[in-house]
Formats: sequence, structure tokens, C-alpha cells
Amino acid sequence: MATKAHILKPGETAPRTVGRSLLLTLPIALWSLLMFANPQRQSNRSVQIASVMTAVFMIALFFMMMRTCSTFRWRRWFFVALGLLFPVGFIHNVMVMRGTMGIPIEEMIAGRTPFCYLPIPLLILPAAFTKTLLFPGSILPGGGMSGAGMAAMAGVWLAITLVVGKGWCSYACFFGGIEEGMASVPARAKLRKIDPRWRYGPWAVLLAMVLLSLALFEPAYCLWLCPFKAVSEYVAARNAVGMVQNGIFVVLFAGLVVALPLLTKKRTQCAFFCPFGAFQSIFNKTSVFDVKIDRTRCSPCVLCQNACPTMSLTTESVTRGETLMSCMKCGACVDACPKGAVVWHIKGTEVASNPERARLMFLYAAWGMAVMFGGSIIVEGLATIVHVFV
Amino acid sequence: MKLQARLGYTAAGMTVFAALLVPFLLYGIFTKGFAALGLHVDEVYSGGPKVRTVQTHSYSIDIHRPVFPHVLQSEKPFVQLDWRPVSALPPHISDVVDVDGDGQPDICVSFDVPKDARTPLRVNVEALNPRYEAMQNVGKEKFSRLIVRVDDAILVRVPLARP
Repeated sequence: MATKAHILKPGETAPRTVGRSLLLTLPIALWSLLMFANPQRQSNRSVQIASVMTAVFMIALFFMMMRTCSTFRWRRWFFVALGLLFPVGFIHNVMVMRGTMGIPIEEMIAGRTPFCYLPIPLLILPAAFTKTLLFPGSILPGGGMSGAGMAAMAGVWLAITLVVGKGWCSYACFFGGIEEGMASVPARAKLRKIDPRWRYGPWAVLLAMVLLSLALFEPAYCLWLCPFKAVSEYVAARNAVGMVQNGIFVVLFAGLVVALPLLTKKRTQCAFFCPFGAFQSIFNKTSVFDVKIDRTRCSPCVLCQNACPTMSLTTESVTRGETLMSCMKCGACVDACPKGAVVWHIKGTEVASNPERARLMFLYAAWGMAVMFGGSIIVEGLATIVHVFV
Repeated sequence: MKLQARLGYTAAGMTVFAALLVPFLLYGIFTKGFAALGLHVDEVYSGGPKVRTVQTHSYSIDIHRPVFPHVLQSEKPFVQLDWRPVSALPPHISDVVDVDGDGQPDICVSFDVPKDARTPLRVNVEALNPRYEAMQNVGKEKFSRLIVRVDDAILVRVPLARP
């Protein structure tokens, strides 16, 4: 039976006992063992050690979520680890397999370009109109760096999106952790006044990139605007255009993923630029979980608005008792509210009727996905580091 | 409890159950479903399907169907030819190829085959048919105009002349 809502006041001790927290952690512990004890992956000692470390890490974080009844700060440890370790494992693989982070044209022709989820929204219209995927990868496993192919990435994206909706951006995205880590470095934001119209940025980029990709028949975002090319791979520059493209990647990464999060304490790339994030917002409408504001308890202190890393709360939305559709369910606003007015919620139920039950149900689903998808990426990155010492 | 709330909790419970099924069932279903959509990778990248093979005494030349990029794509129409296997190729290739299969020679392709796979390739193409563009000392400039080594084949893409 689920517990009633526990709201931690400053200085208050954790409301759950260790025993009860352990009991609530047990399903995730079993799930982690199931996910990380895959004998096919345990091919070498480094992977074994990394798997054990990751399993302990994920179970410990979930235990702390149960024990403290807070979500954001513990999820952040996982998410930053994911963001930092993904490039480690990926770049290591790229360097071992082809000796450069630049994708040579031969690899693109051979269909061996690794496919991430970011171009998915750009591929939908061309695929619908012409049955053509405008990406130089392979649909099925193609060997080399292509990994499991585009179908596998599309499959995992669909499956996880079905479960967590826009929560993908907080529990599965292997890029967002870098800027979340950067945003957590300063104690206070140096840049506090941000024009709220920047919120429309991701939609504008999404619209522009979808239309450009359809018109030019190439993955325009990957070729011109993806900041994460700077820490994964890029088109090997064969001419001046390639140099300009790579320059844009570096400038966008330095600005949106490093400098602005340090100045604003926000996930600026996600909040103001990421077209995939905008696309993923649509799935907030299909997800059964959301975050609501109990207006009977809310005093408009704006702590939740300040805490939100993607500016998904406004005075108007708080008045309406809901977040904007860009909310990625990170839990920052829920944890920041001193009155317990911002609550996890299951659609159809009364607001604040049993927010802890809603939180638990969401966390079991989201953390299960985090362990399965993000956990395997953490293992890969960690194994690369462990391999140096073992 | 209201019906709406019951439905909400049921949906939430089903979502948790779906999460359990993701690695064992849903991931596979969605992956196979996506693969079964019958989509194909843009031929500007893949080179189009192979239509004919010309066999010589030690190696073969695969001729692909011409690829016509979409209206605003920055590539020209081209045809791809694959020389394979690389291990059976002589140090210098100079082949006259009937690309369209009409019995008349269309292009003369010549390139060196270095032993070191990392050595950059350069190709010369003489157009014997005005439908094809000549190329002089071309490496890998564009998807529609290049010579590259992919696995056990050397691929040459010859642009088609605009009518």
C-alpha cells in the first residue's frame, strides 16, 4: 500500500525508515540485477566491475529517493554521470574503430554512421512522403560503429517514450547531463533575467530543421546545429563548408552547454534550442504522469519557477495549477516547494490526493528505464575508465 | 473513487507494467515494426541498388542504378560502380565500362590501387558518352563525385551530365 504524501521541511528528518526505504528499493534492486547481470555483456573484467559499480550506484540513488522523499538531487547524480560517461565510452569506441572523431565519407556510404535519437523528428516527414531515411546509417545492425542500427534506436526511443513521455529528457537523454552538471556548479545564477520568449526557441528550431531537412533532403540539424557533435562525432571536414560546420558545433556547445548553464543555472540547450526536446514535449500530452500545483497550498513565492531548469513554470501556469508542456519531470520544482504545493500527479486523479503514490509509480517506471538504457551507457563509459587501471 | 481516478491509476499501473516489458518485449516489437515499414536509406548515401555485374578474369565491376537526388539536394545525379574484390585488383585499373548496358562503351575509368588501404585514392574518368561527366584526379569531393574504398570494394561515383 502506498504511503501518504511526505513533505520535508527544512531541517526535518527523513520521513521514511531505512527498512521501509529498503523495501521500496527492492524492486529496483532486482531490476538492476536483471539488467546488469547479462552474461553476454560480462565479457571482460572491466565490464564486470563497471556493471557492479553502476548497479550499486543506481540502487543507492533510488534508495536515497525513497529515504528522503526527494527526487531531483539524486536523479541529478545519475543524469550527470550519464552525460559525462557517454562521451567517454563513445569517443573511446570511435577512436579504437576508426582513429578519428570525424566520420569519413566511406563510413557514411557503408551505412556505418551511429544514429542517435536527436534526428528522429527530422526524418518523419521525408520518410512519410518518400519512404526514404535521409541519414547515412543502416536500418538494421550494419557492423562497425553503426551499432544496432536505426531501427533499434527508433525502437528504444518509442518504448521509453511510451513509458515516460517527455521524461526522456530527464531519465534517458545521454546529452543533457553535461549541461545539468554545468548548471549545478555555481551556487547562484549570475544571469537571472531571461526573456521568456526564448522558450519558443526549441519549437522554432524544430520547425526550421524539419522544413529544411524536407527541402534539402539531408539531416540539417546533424549537419549544421547539433552542439553535441563537439563531444561525439562530426562530419570529417573535407572543405571550407565542413570547417564552418564544425566551428558551429564547437561554438554552440561552448555557449549553450557550458557557458550559459554556468551563468543561468538552467539547462539552456534543452530549454531554448533542442528540437528533439520540443518534439518530445508532445508526448507530455500522452503520458499519464504529470506535475501539478495545489493552488490551495501555493503561496506565489516563485521558488518553483526559479528551480525549474527549463523554465517550464510561469506565473500564469502556476495560477492554472500546471506546468507548461515542456516539463520534463525532473522533480526540481517539487523538491523546491517549501509548502508541498507542487506535486507529482496521475491524470484523472485529484491534485494532491496522494502525490507520493504518483511519484512512486512514476519513479518505478522512469528509474526502470534509466537503469536499462542509461545504466548500460554508464557501464560502457565506466568500463573504459576501469580498463585503464585493471 | 471516481471513474476518472480509477482510469488514471489503471493507466499508471499499465505504464509501470509496460516499463517491465520494454527490454523483453516492447523494444523488440518496436524495432521489428520500424524495420518492417519498408523504409530505405537515401540512395545518395547508399548508392542505389546494383543492376548489373561485369565480370573480368580476376575481378568484377558492379554497376548500380543511376541515383537522382531530390530537387534542392546539393548533389548531382550520379552512377556508382564497384570494383571488387580489392585483393584481386591489379596495381592499376583502366577499364572501359558500358554503364547503361546498350553494348556501347560509356566511360573509361582509371585509378591506381595502392596496397596500403589508408592511401588516398584518385580517379580519372573519360566520358565516351556525353551523358556522363569526365573527372580528373578526383578524390572524395562529394557524394556524387568520388572514389573511396569501402570494405572489399573500390567505389567510383560518376556524375551524370545535365541534359
